[in-house]
Amino acid sequence: MNRTSQPPTAPLSRREFLTSAVAIGGGLALSFSLPAQEGGPPRPAGPPAAPRQPSGFLQIAANGAITIITPAVEMGQGGHTGMPMIIMEELGGDWKQLVVKDAAAAPLYNNPLFGQQSTVGSFSVRGWYTELRRIGAAGREMLVAAAAKEWGVSPAECTAANSVITHKPSGRTKTYGSVAALAATMPVPQNPTLKANGEFKVIGSSPPRTDVAPKVDGSAKYGIDMVLPGMLVGAIKAAPTVTGTLKSFDDSAARGMKGFHSTVALPNGVIVLANTYWQAKSALDKVKVEFDPGKLGGVDSAKVSALLHSGFDEQGAVVRNEGDADKALASAARVVEATYEVPYLAHACMEPMNCTVRANGDTAEVWVGTQSPQAVQAAAAQVLGLAKERVTVHMQYLGGGFGRRGESDYATQAAMAAKASGRPVKLIWSREEDIQHDFYRPAAAIRFRGGLDASGKLTAMEARVVTSAAPNLGGPPNAGFYTSSVGDMAYAIPNLKVTGINKDIGVRFGFWRSVNQSHNPFMLEGFLDEVAAATKQDPYQFRRSLLQHEKAKRQLAVLDMLAEKSGWSKRPAGHFYGISAFAAYGSYIGSVVDVSLQDKKIVLNRVVTVIDCGVAVHPANIVAQLEGGMVYGLSAALRGEITLKDGAVQQSNFHNYPVLMMAQMPKTECYIMPSTESPGGVGEPGTAPIAPSLASAIFAATASRVRSLPLSKHSLEVIAARA
Amino acid sequence: MIKLNINGKQVDLDVDADTPLLWALRDDAGLTGTKFGCGMGLCGACTVLLDGQVMRSCVLKIGDVGTKAITTIEGLSKDASHPVQKAWIAENVPQCGYCQSGQIMQAAAVLKDNPNISDADIDAQMTGNLCRCMTYTRIRAAVRQAANAMKGA
Repeated sequence: MNRTSQPPTAPLSRREFLTSAVAIGGGLALSFSLPAQEGGPPRPAGPPAAPRQPSGFLQIAANGAITIITPAVEMGQGGHTGMPMIIMEELGGDWKQLVVKDAAAAPLYNNPLFGQQSTVGSFSVRGWYTELRRIGAAGREMLVAAAAKEWGVSPAECTAANSVITHKPSGRTKTYGSVAALAATMPVPQNPTLKANGEFKVIGSSPPRTDVAPKVDGSAKYGIDMVLPGMLVGAIKAAPTVTGTLKSFDDSAARGMKGFHSTVALPNGVIVLANTYWQAKSALDKVKVEFDPGKLGGVDSAKVSALLHSGFDEQGAVVRNEGDADKALASAARVVEATYEVPYLAHACMEPMNCTVRANGDTAEVWVGTQSPQAVQAAAAQVLGLAKERVTVHMQYLGGGFGRRGESDYATQAAMAAKASGRPVKLIWSREEDIQHDFYRPAAAIRFRGGLDASGKLTAMEARVVTSAAPNLGGPPNAGFYTSSVGDMAYAIPNLKVTGINKDIGVRFGFWRSVNQSHNPFMLEGFLDEVAAATKQDPYQFRRSLLQHEKAKRQLAVLDMLAEKSGWSKRPAGHFYGISAFAAYGSYIGSVVDVSLQDKKIVLNRVVTVIDCGVAVHPANIVAQLEGGMVYGLSAALRGEITLKDGAVQQSNFHNYPVLMMAQMPKTECYIMPSTESPGGVGEPGTAPIAPSLASAIFAATASRVRSLPLSKHSLEVIAARA
Repeated sequence: MIKLNINGKQVDLDVDADTPLLWALRDDAGLTGTKFGCGMGLCGACTVLLDGQVMRSCVLKIGDVGTKAITTIEGLSKDASHPVQKAWIAENVPQCGYCQSGQIMQAAAVLKDNPNISDADIDAQMTGNLCRCMTYTRIRAAVRQAANAMKGA
């Protein structure tokens, strides 16, 4: 596919503003370097991002409609609002004219920070911020140039705001729509002028989200809602064990059923195709399937835990080594030791996995809500034997992403079914399939040893970080990845050694909202809490004492704001507080949890969260992400656990994989640190601090230390205080 | 042929009587606003009203519906003008939005009978509708706002 052409659903015409790079020669070449993103994964080396032509992101029609093509998908985190806001700020367009479209699967939309087209890693605003501002500013300058040309005046005498260009000396005005066609012929400025932070009118405001209206009247379309002429619907049964494969199947009892079309064999399961989902599901339930359990047919959670623990004595990869931790620990006045552990977790998006594929001979189309359209495109292309450019991905709203929808397994399956049947296929997973065939948040464990000197100062720490899985990020498993928050901790400990050990157990794993921050801060902050308790230091003051250096400035500021906003030094009687703070996704986040005890139950009074995310694009949405992220983490901390028995996941639906309900929702207070730093991530950090802060508060209340999750394993009942 | 009364219209569907109402609505009546979340009546995404009462349509067979009036999210109002929908818009409630049809139908039914609802009762009545994005704070605020609007009506 020609990289400069428009998505097939939006044909480009000469009358449309900002034409292709081929016509104007070069597009918008961006040769900037982004500031280092502390706390985030390292940027992979590679060729510089291709120049971005504005027409791929921004089109203005003669009637003034401003179509913005967003490179971030909408899964509830505000991708369809935040990205347009950034362009609109510099463009100076009328917000009421905004039409939002999803980007096609194309390299043009690769995130500048990490070179992939994925809405993941809390990367959207921080990766696109500068580039989208340049695109909006370029658009504004081209519109002004067009108006100035029509007036025969200098562009320097013109201003632009709210979709109107004004010639200041004469007071004449022109609308964006009226000059859009001419503007498309103007040269794309290579270095457009960006606004100063103090001039922002859109960034920093909180306009209503653009996706709210269709989501309150049933008209919003998700992947699962797709309907096509001649479409078959598929229901799937995949092997129950995590390494299982299909051995045989007998669908004779299903064949006569109403609407039955066919059974498609996959390497690890079967799909029954019928006219409707219920027909497919009913027929599937009648198919006898035999599976080969595979290598992990005998694994259970006890074995997983034992494997993790066996990793503590392995050599592993040292990711941080300052001073001489072994020596310092050997000669310490006192050693504090603790082992922490967390289980596998499922994503449990509200919309079960699904995908619709239509093969059209030498092209194909996929309808799906996905965080990674190019992955889905490649998956379908591979199955159908097509070049990937021949596969069009029609993005839908995502009924939850959380990292699960970055995978393309269901796209491969739907494409196989479409290929086998010669018909368009919508494949829908049941909730049971969804929970039992997830890409789980890995189980992990850390053994800590802390060395204290005679005065109680923490002079040494050793952390052995064991993971059950590490992703292939284009090279061998990267210990720096799964040890993050521990290996790169900001705390100043003179003798510090962090080792990563990958036990590579073989249970399918993936990225779960906040990834390594969903467990490493729980474990590290928990251990620091133990050291503070062992030395009778206040947990807040103890952390402060380790953050007195320049690199820790922003983390310390978050910690201090937490103490202030929560009233740390003024805890009311009967209230027990826990605190944690750390870097995550280019931001700095922390929380204070306030609990009380009531008849041996932990009453969650409130959760105070503070984030320093640099420039806050949409403050109200940031608060929504902090609250939502926090409760996603709380849900897991309280009762989230995927267990294995005989190689199979034991959980299947919301009765045995319970998720947080409204009655358990605590009171929250969220604060955004004022900042002019470049934006940090917001979608995931909110999930990380709740577990450590809650565990810390529980210790303060009960003297009972929680070193593993979920809390339900410890017979700890947590309830939310009545408002 | 099963005759159903959906959003005020008589609809005839050629569907087996043991088909869950959810799937008859989605796949046969073309109304995809009611969502599939669990298939076991545990999440509330499939909530519709039957003669104004809340029902989890994934566990209700269409053979058991009879002549009762079914209301789905599409039939709650014209142009999202129901007080609950207006409050949902004012409070920017939805994130991913997938659970929201069920949340809105639940709230509409609850408030119709009890616009003077207490905060504790809002929680008790809404808590069966799961949300993974955890929009609960805003749902509470929107239900409170809609209740106030409906009290005045």
